[in-house]
Amino acid sequence: MIWLRASEEKTGKRYDLSGVNGKGADDGGIDHGRLLVAFAEAVLGDDEARLDQVRRRLLDAIGPEALVDSAAVVALFNAIDRVADATGTPLEPTKSEASEDFRASLGINDYYAAAGKF
Amino acid sequence: MSEISFDASPYPVRDDIVASERAAWARLGRAGSWWSGPERPAIAAEARHALACPLCLARKEALSPRQVSGMHASLGALPAAAIEAIHAIRTDPGRLTRDWYQEALAHGLDEERYVELVAVVVTTVVVDTFHRGLGLPMPALPAAAVPGVPSRRRPKRAQVHHHWVPTLAPQDVGEDEVNPYEGNRAANIHRALSLVPEEVINFFDLGGAHYLTGAQMTDLGNEPRAIDRAQIELLAARVSALNQCVY
Repeated sequence: MIWLRASEEKTGKRYDLSGVNGKGADDGGIDHGRLLVAFAEAVLGDDEARLDQVRRRLLDAIGPEALVDSAAVVALFNAIDRVADATGTPLEPTKSEASEDFRASLGINDYYAAAGKF
Repeated sequence: MSEISFDASPYPVRDDIVASERAAWARLGRAGSWWSGPERPAIAAEARHALACPLCLARKEALSPRQVSGMHASLGALPAAAIEAIHAIRTDPGRLTRDWYQEALAHGLDEERYVELVAVVVTTVVVDTFHRGLGLPMPALPAAAVPGVPSRRRPKRAQVHHHWVPTLAPQDVGEDEVNPYEGNRAANIHRALSLVPEEVINFFDLGGAHYLTGAQMTDLGNEPRAIDRAQIELLAARVSALNQCVY
């Protein structure tokens, strides 16, 4: 999310990050934000029919190349999270400081894995 | 020999993604630094098998995974300590702890083999999750072409810094050692697997293709993908939240 914040600064746009914890009521200022969140949830879930449905909707909304890129990002982060959590990777002090506000507001500090990571 | 193919994909998969997954699969079938040729695909197979393990499912539902004891449903090709590590990393990564890691070592996994095991599991996760996202069947795992002998090269100056596992600081890379930090910023996530430097390179080869390269990450003026930066980061952040990952 540090990069999402950097993107805000670059573009001047402001994003509602509540979609990150599944509580976004709309796209949060990001094109097709709700649909992208639904896709990530479906890929990591176990409901095949739901995944097929969301994939079709996302394909219609953003096209095949963007669908592929979306699946690729979900795949990479599903793995990189495991690299971090299996090795006890701490957040760098600069990232910890920069993320302090939204970690608190999104409840990230309450994650089981948060102990000793900041 | 199995090879990853997207010929049947209804969607156009970028060449760099195809190349990175094929290279990862080929490496999976060869001896690594600490696990042999047959052992590495066995780790990948066990990672897939973990998704249907009743013990893992029960632990996932429990308030604390340690409340639930029992035996993993395993393929039986690897030591028990490796099975526990693979299953926990694959099915409940957000609740791994330093104590759990220390127990893995106490039960016979050494540090180097643990780090390479993590690398093999996450390689499998990238490939399998990508295929699932596109509605494609998971590719066959590579058969070990030759048994192979692990190189057993540990960076001389690797030690415990800020991670649970020993890592190699950039200034400690020896002249005759593989440098895991060419092309990346040596952020903590890059250092995580650096006890086995080849695996840093391997994993972030997948990372550059599936997400962004190091140069692309910091170049906020360009949009190198068919989804924009905000869409990429929203997907990444939602996945991390679902995995309860704070990094």
